[in-house]
Amino acid sequence: MVNGFAPATLQEALAIRAAQDVTPYAGGTDLMVENRRGVSYLFLSKIPELRQITVDDTCVRIGAAVTFTEALADERVPQIMRDALAGIAAPAIRNAGTFGGNLGNGSAKADSVLVEFALDAKLRLVSLSGERIVPVEQFYLGRKKLDLHSDELIAEILLPKTGWENYYYEKVGGRNALAISRVAFAGVLRMENDRIVDLSAAFGAVADTVLRLKDAEGMLIGKTVAEAKAAKEAFLSRYEQDLTLTRGRVSAEYRKAVCLRLLQAFLEKFGI
Amino acid sequence: MENISRSVVKKDHAPKMSGRSIYVSDYQTAQSGERILTGKLLRSTLAHARVLGVDVPELPEGYFYVDARDVPGDNNVNIVLDDTPVFCRETVEYIGDPIAMLCGPDPDEVERLVKACRVRYEELEPVLDLAAGQEAFFDYRFGHGDVDAAFAAADKQYDETFETGYQDQTYLEPQGMMAEPEADGGMYVHGSMQCVYYVHGALPRVLACAPEKVHVFQDVTGGGFGGKEDYPSVLGCQVAVAARKCGAPVRCVLDRREDLACTSKRHPSLCRYRAAVKDGKVTALEIDVRFNAGGYSTLSAVVLQRGIIAAQGVYNIPNLRLRGRAIKTNTVPNGAYRGFGGPQTFFAVEMMMDHIARDLGVDALAFKEAHLVKKGDSTSTEGRYHFPVPLPGMIDQVDAACDLRKKRALYSQPQTGRYRRGIGTSLYFHGAGFTGSGERDLIKAVAKLRKYADGTVEVLAANGEIGQGLRTTFPKIVAQELGLPLEKVSYNHPDTARVPDSGPTVASRSLMVVGELLRRAAAKLKAQWRDGEEQEVEERFREPDFLIPFYLDKFSGDAYPTYSWGVNAIEVEVDTYTGKTKILGAYGSFDVGTPIDEKIVIGQMEGGFLQGIGYASIEKMAYDHTGRIRSNSFSDYLIPTAADVPNLKCMLYVEKYPEGPYGAKGAGELPLVGAPGAYVEAMEQALGGVSLHHAPFTAEDTMDTIVKEGL
Repeated sequence: MVNGFAPATLQEALAIRAAQDVTPYAGGTDLMVENRRGVSYLFLSKIPELRQITVDDTCVRIGAAVTFTEALADERVPQIMRDALAGIAAPAIRNAGTFGGNLGNGSAKADSVLVEFALDAKLRLVSLSGERIVPVEQFYLGRKKLDLHSDELIAEILLPKTGWENYYYEKVGGRNALAISRVAFAGVLRMENDRIVDLSAAFGAVADTVLRLKDAEGMLIGKTVAEAKAAKEAFLSRYEQDLTLTRGRVSAEYRKAVCLRLLQAFLEKFGI
Repeated sequence: MENISRSVVKKDHAPKMSGRSIYVSDYQTAQSGERILTGKLLRSTLAHARVLGVDVPELPEGYFYVDARDVPGDNNVNIVLDDTPVFCRETVEYIGDPIAMLCGPDPDEVERLVKACRVRYEELEPVLDLAAGQEAFFDYRFGHGDVDAAFAAADKQYDETFETGYQDQTYLEPQGMMAEPEADGGMYVHGSMQCVYYVHGALPRVLACAPEKVHVFQDVTGGGFGGKEDYPSVLGCQVAVAARKCGAPVRCVLDRREDLACTSKRHPSLCRYRAAVKDGKVTALEIDVRFNAGGYSTLSAVVLQRGIIAAQGVYNIPNLRLRGRAIKTNTVPNGAYRGFGGPQTFFAVEMMMDHIARDLGVDALAFKEAHLVKKGDSTSTEGRYHFPVPLPGMIDQVDAACDLRKKRALYSQPQTGRYRRGIGTSLYFHGAGFTGSGERDLIKAVAKLRKYADGTVEVLAANGEIGQGLRTTFPKIVAQELGLPLEKVSYNHPDTARVPDSGPTVASRSLMVVGELLRRAAAKLKAQWRDGEEQEVEERFREPDFLIPFYLDKFSGDAYPTYSWGVNAIEVEVDTYTGKTKILGAYGSFDVGTPIDEKIVIGQMEGGFLQGIGYASIEKMAYDHTGRIRSNSFSDYLIPTAADVPNLKCMLYVEKYPEGPYGAKGAGELPLVGAPGAYVEAMEQALGGVSLHHAPFTAEDTMDTIVKEGL
């Protein structure tokens, strides 16, 4: 017998979350498949506070129960994120699947989460006792392990309003729709005065969580395009050396070869 | 377009689209109103072992444990041979081999009981390697001409081995059967199936009863593709034995993982081809075919026969020596899947011809064209191609649709950059109807029409609607012949208590063979039509006069009365960064004779072609060193979606068969057969002219080649 709670407000939802052993349920696209027995669900898809996309001075704030289809149609959502959303599953899944659910499922294959890593997104987590803002990479503690307390809910995803314009995104699945990523890559480059001031290169679906090698990224920061070009070989071989992939549905050799080529494609796109 | 080809709304469209169709899992109660017990199989977890015993947990009231000891008659399911047990004997022969069935009212409790059973095994060495397997269930040899002399005289010789993998039918509805004991001591068995009379034939032997004591009904069936040719006989016998023991209706519906891992699939194959070439022509082929049969022989004999008869392709090869074996391994028994042995050998022969052409420095398509069979030529089994071979016109049709020859030349130039293109072609046939003398000697189809007093007519035949449209096309033929509106003619799912044995729903035979019986029956009925009376007419199969008798012991004669033909071209673009391949276009010209409803036929062509493309590219299934199939879910075993081949163009080319209804030939299987050859040939071109030898050729294989070749 499935027990369910369908609160009308976030406050009500948090009260139930604090008092009961419940599984937060937004679109249900993972949970319906799992079909666990004896679970009580906390249905979140109708809570207005979780259903909004807003913009403030620095951030685009996406409610945890916003669906992928809704975000895809919203031009305020960074294009790199919308590129990733367009490749998720198929329309029916995108109509139900949510940002909060993609995070809460804890998978390193979650396509929206990869972009959040690449953009250094932050999450707003709320409970009856208050809220905290956590960078997405700190939220992921390991495979299917999240820094989410048993009385907390994911409320919002905070994406930077700007700074993502120079990006490269690619998902490699086993087919063109309804495919779990075998490798997904999101890279962002920020230039100021002809110098690279920030670079992120995030790899999804290859390890327990999304993978970023911050030291390696630093190798190109502060450089001009010409200087970066000169350092490219060392940069790529660093990744070749340090990218450690877990075993997956397809071979690690394949996925590693693809990772390195996509990293290269990212650099090529910006003349490096 | 001929009148008969005009599309109508399928008779089963409304109930299926509205969700009103009742599938076997939908029944709330049995016919009698009784509660249905759930059956679940206890399956072997080892590939090869002696079963010393099973520790069965204490069974709650109303729960049953059913195994081989409960089989009232013979513990053998009749398929081709009788080696497939209902429940395992002393040994288990593959992972998934059924040991017992647990039955009871609550599905969760049944599941718990299955998990609580402890099977005590003595492990035996499993045979898992197809190349090394020694035991052949079937070992056939045939040939013609003087192969040794041809090789001795050859300018050049070639020796290559080709490999193909599993393919699962992935019907939407998994396997499911139900058995209901009847008041008179009979047994009513129904479910998802293709061949009611196969199940009907298997039951009496297992239940030790007279054939009249069983009857079999095909429920609405959510796809078969060959996968529901033999397996329903096995599952049907299991639920019938269980129902007998429980004294209650028992239903067993497999879940998807169980279905993917434990039911029949396309045989993996290993084909070695040796070719002799003299003056630019192939003068001899020596072919060694191995099909992985799995743990029991099931349908392997007939799949292998069809495969090896097609092994020389659509080419006139004067000298042939062939050996084909169905090798026993300790893996799931393989069986029927659309194409039935043909896709494996056509892949091999198409690649072989391609490789020889490349080595000789000539275009593969031109090389193939120079070897094409034509009307009057001898077949591989020294039968005849009695009717025109339309391949040249079909090649032109495909060329016109996609600029095949021009693109082929263009893409053979050196390519650079991230994306590389290729286009490949395959030429093939599908022998229409049962292989050999099966129609005459084994099936002996009978079909009937029953006219009611109100002037409506019912088709009485045993062929099952499995999505291919028989509930519509059979009535179309009868209505056309009788000059009646289509609404006046009906065809329901067959029940062996009501319909004669018009044979199984297999081998692309239903429309061509049974459809013609119905056309003749309708003509007969028309001649003797009397208004207001109930009338019945019957037609029996008779072999066409022109046939050269087929002898299976010698593999000689006409294996098929006629052939359906196919020409495919597939154009690809390989992403050298990801190994992913985009299909720019897939073009097929198909000759299935007169289409009895164009939309249905085009639907069959598109669906089959796409399945073939999946088989060639992404559908990868293998077992590990223990014999276990790991890709047993839809997130691991990927089949193409609508988004995967957006540009699929199927064209019809009509070469009528005078013995088929209005000129129709077999259609269902043809479109799958040629895809692997065309796809992998295209991949060879995109990858800079490498020689490839296996299908599926996946993104991983592509990346492997890119890395090795430094592309």
